[in-house]
Amino acid sequence: ASEVSEAQTTDSDEIVTPVSQKCPKAGSEKMCIEIISLAFHPEAEVMCDENVKQVYVEYKFYDLPLSETETPVSLRKPRAGEEIHFHFSKVIDLDPVEQKDRRQFLFAMLTGQDPERGHLKFIVVSDPMDEEKKECQEVGYAYLELWQILESGRDIQEQELDIVSPEDQATPIGRLKVSLQAAAALHAIYKEMTEDVFL
Amino acid sequence: MREPEEVVPDSGAVFTFGKTKFAENNPSKFWFKNDIPIYLSCGDEHTAIITGNNKLFMFGSNNWGQLGLGSKSTVNKPTCVKALKLEKMKFAACGRNHTLVSTEGGKVYAAGGNTEGQLGLGDTEERNTFHLISFFTSQHKIKQLSAGSNTSAALTEDGELFMWGDNSEGQIGLQNITSICVPHQVTIGKPISWISCGYYHSAFVTTEGELYTFGEPEYGKLGLPEKLLINHKVPQLVPGIPQKVIQVACGGGHTVALTEKAVYTFGLGQFGQLGLGTFIFETSEPKAVENIKDQKISYVCCGENHTALITDLGLMYTFGDSRHGKLGLGLESFANQFVPTLCSNFLKFIVQLVACGGCHMLVFATPRLDGAEDVELDE
Ligand SMILES: [Mg+2]
Ligand SMILES: [Mg+2]
Repeated sequence: ASEVSEAQTTDSDEIVTPVSQKCPKAGSEKMCIEIISLAFHPEAEVMCDENVKQVYVEYKFYDLPLSETETPVSLRKPRAGEEIHFHFSKVIDLDPVEQKDRRQFLFAMLTGQDPERGHLKFIVVSDPMDEEKKECQEVGYAYLELWQILESGRDIQEQELDIVSPEDQATPIGRLKVSLQAAAALHAIYKEMTEDVFL
Repeated sequence: MREPEEVVPDSGAVFTFGKTKFAENNPSKFWFKNDIPIYLSCGDEHTAIITGNNKLFMFGSNNWGQLGLGSKSTVNKPTCVKALKLEKMKFAACGRNHTLVSTEGGKVYAAGGNTEGQLGLGDTEERNTFHLISFFTSQHKIKQLSAGSNTSAALTEDGELFMWGDNSEGQIGLQNITSICVPHQVTIGKPISWISCGYYHSAFVTTEGELYTFGEPEYGKLGLPEKLLINHKVPQLVPGIPQKVIQVACGGGHTVALTEKAVYTFGLGQFGQLGLGTFIFETSEPKAVENIKDQKISYVCCGENHTALITDLGLMYTFGDSRHGKLGLGLESFANQFVPTLCSNFLKFIVQLVACGGCHMLVFATPRLDGAEDVELDE
């Protein structure tokens, strides 16, 4: 560069940034679910169940294969007072054109017309060690009500959900921490679907 | 004028991951016109880059003036520190909220937070421009800088180590004071070849290949047996590493040591930052990391809760806390990694430099020009 252009060079001229690789999707066209961490209550039966050595967490979302909605690893069962950390976050595409069915599914959840009556159900699963020839076993459920997000207009940030045992859904056995960024999408979906009714 | 899209020049690009403040925290990349990075450092939320033309570029959070640009506003694009343009910059170290830089002539400058005297200027006033630490003269040939949470270190070619700042946990190796605002020499009577300041602990390696640790004693991050922890304010030899240690990196609660043959980790691993699998979330006994598929590791680096390894072939593995995409392993789906995980983004690159911060990571990589596709690993 010549002396003149050097003098006129601004800081940003020295840096080359390629034209934006990919436009991030609008908030109303995606949601993000994060399974953060889990802990069991020290007195919970699962804590002394020697068959439960490691656990993972999964949820079901419409057409997504379980392989995409379960934590990719199983972690050692937390000890008393210990939390185990998955930090498993997944963005779900809710494109208004390509993912119409997912939007319809979420609308059904918002109106409680789905099998879990408007709740996203997280399942804590005991994963037998490789050398054991046992089946995976569901050891707890945690439920997140989607309506509360629409109602408050706010995303869920690090909310602790009670984990209940499959046999006794009244007694909490632990806590599952999750985040859900979905307020913008749920608002848009609810609006477009309820407007449809009056068309 | 539009730049050609996507094509990384042969001279390489800097890739950004996590909460860098650059490109709205989306994974991104940039490069320099007629210049290349030769050194990267990440603090808690800020970043320093030294280039081949000996310039210093800074960006990120700036609440304490740690970018040294004369303000306290966040800077979301690498910005040249013009005040140092006449100096030939050589090294940089970003601490949690301050920055150290050094020149080819052995001058050391500091900017940012200074509550514990971590700027080494003899007081505890914060600075939003770089100030010369008068202690260092041309006699001190600086070999390495390191900075932690309010701690600072400079290592010379002669193997002399100087540290200053917060000593509340003994992390700068003094017995009876809580902080010191001028450099003091830390010595065990042998030359030192590598230094790393973690958030509240520190570690160094001697030229003989011994590893010493000091500072906050909790969670096994000093790698010392229980009975030695009472003396955590002085550097103590870490037993249990059977080979010569070459490098060490300290994170928020963990420590990673590179030996001639292996990588050893200890401390907290609740997010996978030890790389020791899904059953070990804490250890005070150094353990060798497996799953690196017989790769020879040439560089280790720790963020607060994550770890990156570069192999001699220029591949990169990351593990630990995945939040914000700081492990560089994906765009939309992340999970903590409990074993070293190959960054497939860089299979067609040679990773030259990596720096890990609180919630971000920067990588400088050059395109693999010789038969890129051949560098696949046997699974
Ligand atoms: Mg599975
Ligand atoms: Mg399995």
